[in-house]
Amino acid sequence: MCLAVPLQVVEVITGSDELLDPGVALVAGDGIRREVRLEMVDRIPAVGEYVIIHAGFAIRTLTEEEAEYNLSLMRRMAEVLEEEGRLPGEPECS
Amino acid sequence: MKRAITIEPITRIEGHARIRIDLDESGRVSDARVEITALRGFEQFVIGRPAEEIPRIVTRICGICPWMHHLAAVKAIDGCFGVSPPPAGNLLRELAQVLAHIHDKILHFFFLAAPDFVLGPESDYSVRNVMGLVRSEPELAARVVRMRQLALAMLERFAGKAIHPVAGVVGGFARPMDAGEQRDLLADGQVLLDFACQSLAFAKERIFSRFVEEMLSLGSVTTGFLGTVDAQGSLRLYDGLLRLMDPGGGLVEFPVEEYDQFLAEHVEPWSYAKMVYARSWGEGISLDSSQPRGIYRANTLARINVCDHIATPRAQEELEAFRELFGRPAQGTLLYHWARLIELVYACERTLELLADERIVEPLVHHVVEPGAGRGIGHVEAPRGTLLHEYATDGNGCITRANLIVGTTHNVAPMQLCVRQAADRLIGNGAADEEILNRIEMAVRAYDP
Repeated sequence: MCLAVPLQVVEVITGSDELLDPGVALVAGDGIRREVRLEMVDRIPAVGEYVIIHAGFAIRTLTEEEAEYNLSLMRRMAEVLEEEGRLPGEPECS
Repeated sequence: MKRAITIEPITRIEGHARIRIDLDESGRVSDARVEITALRGFEQFVIGRPAEEIPRIVTRICGICPWMHHLAAVKAIDGCFGVSPPPAGNLLRELAQVLAHIHDKILHFFFLAAPDFVLGPESDYSVRNVMGLVRSEPELAARVVRMRQLALAMLERFAGKAIHPVAGVVGGFARPMDAGEQRDLLADGQVLLDFACQSLAFAKERIFSRFVEEMLSLGSVTTGFLGTVDAQGSLRLYDGLLRLMDPGGGLVEFPVEEYDQFLAEHVEPWSYAKMVYARSWGEGISLDSSQPRGIYRANTLARINVCDHIATPRAQEELEAFRELFGRPAQGTLLYHWARLIELVYACERTLELLADERIVEPLVHHVVEPGAGRGIGHVEAPRGTLLHEYATDGNGCITRANLIVGTTHNVAPMQLCVRQAADRLIGNGAADEEILNRIEMAVRAYDP
């Protein structure tokens, strides 16, 4: 399964056109820091909010509260695997 | 000198996939693999949870295509509790599903795939992205963005927030649609259909015609196919019989409850990756590119191949034209894009059909449900292939067993073959420049892993 790990927006760089060039967001999480494009996102995120990314595009914006809940579910999922002696993060098919 | 080429991240598939190509001393390809990275554990995580929660929880974890998981899960739990939704419940669920397909297909084709074709795989990556498309086709790009937003707005209008769907409930749908919503959505649906038809016409004239040779040769492999059809053999996305086509075109059909008699799961020691193969062919699985065994594909081209026809007129016309050119089954990997646009036309026509069905505004949208012991399997055709959720529940309606087969799983094995084929064909004497690597990526991008 393709996990939708939310990453937190640390900066929004506005583009030249609201519709065609909405710019990019810098996101960070789990030691990753990268730029994502905003053409496809359902709502332009504010700094501190989270986005779900697919193929280099932010596709959905989540409030902090929504993202925290999703992340807590994922953490619990990882714990279940660890309890079973299987490390999370091994290559797996989605 | 032996060496390994790693393409990471796959340009627009960041975070999900990695291609590794090994070269021998003479610079010939000795191995090529696609590794898909994701975290497993959902099946273990849900054990003991109340089954009604699953359709809501799964969308928070598999958030790339939340509606598909939401609906496959809710259908499976219907099965556990022995309930069938009333007509309006099913119509509203299907409408949500086809709208989510429309949104996804616009995203995939125009934003992830089209830049390769519009600008050409040989152009510099810095312009071979969506902004390059905006610069070369500004009017089209603006329309694409608006249409994708329209599909999302339509979905939210009757089904609530698109981020974490909750509108599918065990036994049916959360709330009825009123006549005003029905009327507005019909008008919007017509706009989407016009756009879909124009998109396909644009792609055929301006894009596909330039790439016909590439579409038939790049990453081309001969496999079977899996999709869903109704009793008349027409394409279905929301429900129906699974239909498995062997590489020679022979067909078997089965209800999803019998999937494990026809499909089997397999793990390759080098990858931890779950793969699925056609058990019913009785030949096991082999990824040997010269003689693959047991391998079939899912996703758009597969669905277009397995169906006998499409029950909506514009999409049927396009299907006939496609078959005229490429036969049945069509095997070219890049034809997934063409098939994706035929499905886009179908999804728009189906949107109008569903909205024209007067039962869609009936006030009874769900039945009362008694949680209890049972087993249920729910499936839908998701953008990336056949998606299957299977659960068993105890007397309190809590999950005791879960198994998921997601769209990309079906395509993990054939993607290995495609990458190997593309690498063998394109890399000679160890020479692999940017353009060659991009072409290899294109073979993987067709599957939208």
